[in-house]
Amino acid sequence: MADDMTGGVPVATVARVGVTLTVNGADYRLDLDSRVTLLDALRDRLGMTGTKKGCDQGACGACTVMVDGKRVLSCLTLAAQCEGKDVTTIEGLAADGVLHAMQEAFVRHDAFQCGYCTSGQIMSAVCLLAEGRAGSDDAIRQFMSGNLCRCGAYGNIVAAIREVRDAGGHDA
Amino acid sequence: MTTVEQRTGLVGQGVDRVDGPLKVTGAARYPNDFSYPDLAYAALVRSTVAAGRISRLDTAAALASPGVLAVITHQNAPRLERAPDSGLTAPPPPLQDDRITFHGQYVAVVVADSAEEATAAARRVEAEYEPAEPILDMGDPRAEWITDPWGTDSSRGDLKGALASAEVRFEATYTTAANSNSPMGLFSTVAVWDGDDLTIHDSTQWPSYLRKAIAQVFSLPEGNVRVLCPYVGGAFGAGLRAWPHIMLAALAARTVGRPVKLVLTRPEMFTGVGHRTASEQCVKLGATRDGRLVALAHESTTPLQIEGTQFEPCTAGSASAYACPNVITRDRQVRLNIPWCNFMRAPGEAQGNFALESAMDELAYELGMDPLELRLRNYSEDNPRLELPWSSKSLRECYEVGAERFGWSRRSPEPGSMRDGDSLIGYGVAGVSFFWYQEPCEARATLRKDGTAVVRSAVTDIGTGTYTVMTQLSAECLGLDMAHVTFELGDSDLPAGAAAGGSGLTAAVGSAVQAACRNLVRAFLDTVRDDPTSPLQGCTIDEVSVGGGRIHRIDAPESGEAYADILAAHGIGELSADGSSTPNDPKVAGMAPSGAFAARFVEVRVDPDLGLMQVARVVSVVDAGRILNEKTATSQIMGGTVGGIGMAMLEEIVTDPGTGRVANATFGDYLIPVNADIPDMEVAFVGRPDRFNSVGVKGVGEIGLVGIGAAIANAVHHATGRRVRSLPITIEQLF
Amino acid sequence: MREFEYVRAGEVGQAVAMVTADPETSYLAGGTTQLDLMKDGVLAPDRLVDITRLPLGGVTRDGDVLRVGALASMEELAADPTVAERLPFLREALLMGASPQLRNMATIGGNLLQRTRCRYFRDPAVSACNKRRRGTGCAAVQEVARMHAILGASEHCIALHPSDMAVALVALDAVVHLLGAGGSRSVPIREFYLLPGDTPDVENVLRHGELITAVEVPLLPPGARSTYLKVRDRASYEFALTSAAVALRIDGGVIGEARVAMGGVGTVPWRATTTEQMLEGSPPSPEVFAAAAELAITDPYVVPGTAFKVELAKRTVARALRTAATQGGPR
Repeated sequence: MADDMTGGVPVATVARVGVTLTVNGADYRLDLDSRVTLLDALRDRLGMTGTKKGCDQGACGACTVMVDGKRVLSCLTLAAQCEGKDVTTIEGLAADGVLHAMQEAFVRHDAFQCGYCTSGQIMSAVCLLAEGRAGSDDAIRQFMSGNLCRCGAYGNIVAAIREVRDAGGHDA
Repeated sequence: MTTVEQRTGLVGQGVDRVDGPLKVTGAARYPNDFSYPDLAYAALVRSTVAAGRISRLDTAAALASPGVLAVITHQNAPRLERAPDSGLTAPPPPLQDDRITFHGQYVAVVVADSAEEATAAARRVEAEYEPAEPILDMGDPRAEWITDPWGTDSSRGDLKGALASAEVRFEATYTTAANSNSPMGLFSTVAVWDGDDLTIHDSTQWPSYLRKAIAQVFSLPEGNVRVLCPYVGGAFGAGLRAWPHIMLAALAARTVGRPVKLVLTRPEMFTGVGHRTASEQCVKLGATRDGRLVALAHESTTPLQIEGTQFEPCTAGSASAYACPNVITRDRQVRLNIPWCNFMRAPGEAQGNFALESAMDELAYELGMDPLELRLRNYSEDNPRLELPWSSKSLRECYEVGAERFGWSRRSPEPGSMRDGDSLIGYGVAGVSFFWYQEPCEARATLRKDGTAVVRSAVTDIGTGTYTVMTQLSAECLGLDMAHVTFELGDSDLPAGAAAGGSGLTAAVGSAVQAACRNLVRAFLDTVRDDPTSPLQGCTIDEVSVGGGRIHRIDAPESGEAYADILAAHGIGELSADGSSTPNDPKVAGMAPSGAFAARFVEVRVDPDLGLMQVARVVSVVDAGRILNEKTATSQIMGGTVGGIGMAMLEEIVTDPGTGRVANATFGDYLIPVNADIPDMEVAFVGRPDRFNSVGVKGVGEIGLVGIGAAIANAVHHATGRRVRSLPITIEQLF
Repeated sequence: MREFEYVRAGEVGQAVAMVTADPETSYLAGGTTQLDLMKDGVLAPDRLVDITRLPLGGVTRDGDVLRVGALASMEELAADPTVAERLPFLREALLMGASPQLRNMATIGGNLLQRTRCRYFRDPAVSACNKRRRGTGCAAVQEVARMHAILGASEHCIALHPSDMAVALVALDAVVHLLGAGGSRSVPIREFYLLPGDTPDVENVLRHGELITAVEVPLLPPGARSTYLKVRDRASYEFALTSAAVALRIDGGVIGEARVAMGGVGTVPWRATTTEQMLEGSPPSPEVFAAAAELAITDPYVVPGTAFKVELAKRTVARALRTAATQGGPR
């Protein structure tokens, strides 16, 4: 490597922060660059790549996870802010290898194509039912609109959520 | 062979995606999900002028930034070769000189220990430019024009004479905005060198080509490069080129001697992986009073990157859409200082169909005729351009079934005559005659001693369902349960695969898979040819059938032998066979290759006070030949329809006229449809297996997007009396 | 993002002192604007003081006033029963204001300080932006504007205030409570926001280090009719092209009190006072609503891409008035 590519006086110092993340019930002690978002902590530091980065700007919903039971965007959340909070990701949804009803319904209704937005859609859909907002198709559409799907699986996403709702999870 | 094989009935069933469980658990691994020990991260620096030269690059602050391993610019980058053509010219290799040809061109790549460090350091690269006046407008007199770029222009009959003498003439100009593919998956490359061997994880739709491209750029033997893409987060055409950022990731990894991950940012997705061009189109129609077309002219002009090439035939489809004796179609391109123009779901046809099918609607109103009737009256029974019979065509049935399901007869013809509260209701229809292309493809089928099979081809599944339908097809061809078949793709080390593009992948890989499976059955028959204990001894391929994991005699189905038993009896671990497919030749086949056909029916509701429009219903009836999986094919049409609604109502890449910067390069500014924009959609398939390829398919990946723009515009006219000839149709145009 | 130090504040006074002491230190609450702009390179503080664990949340009712803690989330406020009963149009504005995920994260204080979506402000590759750096010019006026302001705007800046919630709060004459190193003060929301003039970088009366602690929202009188109408390209998850927050008290066939504010048009959330004056004392009729809406936009500053907003905004106000009068009753 050429000399001009390395060296020099540091122009800045990386601040570090210690944080304990509780992800899907397990605790992880991390020493992080303070800039690391929850999304990048999950993906790059903990190897949990099920949560996806679609825009990194809070405009697509692909990175949706639950923090203390509520759906949030992990791309606009600093990992450091999650100290002591319960984070649930798509990897934590299936219990002992048995798919969550929403995951099953997504498969059955073909509620995805490329699959990239799917983790976020499913996390959002699970929360939607818990929020009691899946009462009508219009409500489902409105309250799932924070999750973009470029493949255009919206109709099947609505169908999957409707089925889980009708099976009696919530909003029955 | 052009007969359609149909054995177990597995093909066609709407089985769940085989990759579904992986996708709903987050376990499917996309290119940016791969990690390696000692992984470094790259971030890009882009030009802030659209034309000119880099006059100064100061990388000192970036180099001094924490964690930075290298900053590569044109001043220190090694010489890279240009990638080979893929049918179209490849983008030039990056960082080879100081010239800038569009706003957003890469001028440096920064490599650091972490993504955070690389991104921060990239902002510390200081670049200054000696700008030139960019060419950003198709009307700029300096712009270079290209006529008939692909030899697709057509002419038949005497257009001028026919137009002059037509009882009714109609002419209008239509425009469409530039659109962004914007797949949800950020295009990403992970590059790993091991000596002179290079492994690349990438968001490509065409690993076999990308391997060739990378090998040539880095002057490596092709066998040294392996491209992996088992899952791709959507692409819609964006993955069909060997983009410069891929080469930069590989270059960065070689420079720092570590694996490197490069994930494009969302704004970079708008300048780095191509886009659908805007278009300006003129349509002229001449007709008799009773609605027979006597003249049809369709001319289109689309922009082109100043050094790029792109296949964007907006008018070609118009030459064969209707029976009309006097036709001229012409495409032109104009070179501008804009980011690369590239394929996006139904390139050319998405724009061209909007113009033609809008014009047909306008002509119908001129004639006082039902727009549906006008289309049926000019139905082309044979391909009017090639003067050959279609390999299959059930467009008439599309119209009939669609009209029935939609309730077209309830339409009151007068614009503005249907109302519900504050909303005006409009019905619109558009017809689609799609064309497609097929590439050569190879596959290999292997049966293992446990009786399971694996079938492989270096193709991709970008959400289209390739994994699933090829598993179905393989299982059927080999007489196995789906659970006993695995289809592998997304690896350039597999038999050379066709691109996931042009709606032709299923035909290409399906034909290859059929051939490989048939050859595999032959290989088993060869194995037992001289085996007196085998009930299949001496059988030829035409004397046997398959099912239940075994080969049996057609004349005596009880006489047969399981694959696993044959392998065990002969002490063979596994048996493989190859198959390949090449496109049929229309002249040899004596028929014109049909793409899919469709009729699109749309109901819109327009609030004329506020300019708010909602698509209320869409009925799509599609003749796509044989449907391999009803569920995934329906999803393709519905998904394409969502893309069409986006094109019709929302999507427009805005370029700053002063600087050539893409002004809306985020998901907050470039709007794609959300769930609440999408109504109930009905999809039906009609028709029969196509005769042009052995699988009988015509492709469903793109046609779903086509026709929606015109159907919506036509419905808006019906609702409001207002004819909108430009897409997207936004609030400004409606209130 | 540029390097920064992360500090989790333990108590309010400490947080205020830390930020006040250092011009390069900023508060971090929900992060939906702050982190977004830091990623874009528009903001680059040396230190972030995370205030999300401070006791500044909660929504409590005191008679006819709702006290909203600055750290209450948009979702929390939207779910509050008093809001549903007595401030229904505020609830609508909150629900239309962001996706459910963002509403769970974004705080009420943060929402008031939400920065513009102007695509020239948000891209540091664009050099001309008076809001980012005073005196550099305004690219939005020169290039392609659309999601931009027509009221309170000038050649210096046409950046739009993007908040929906703030439009309803302006209609309600909410009061913003601030705490600084020197003590606390209260500012009526209409005085909280500053017109850009030739200093578009100064958006409100907050002094550096001052912290929004709460917002007091007067409840609508029982029986008031209200609505929030948002006109946008997408059916959801999108900022307003135009919007109107309208509350009417109709007594005996006459409009006794009218509150009208507009979004999507102003450099700050815009109160339509002349419209209100015309409405008060008039009978609620479509003709009156249309005439009053005509007064909503005066002396607009338009560029080609925003000219359509003049008429659209008036129609939005007229429709919102009609909707409020006919459907926006107590529920």
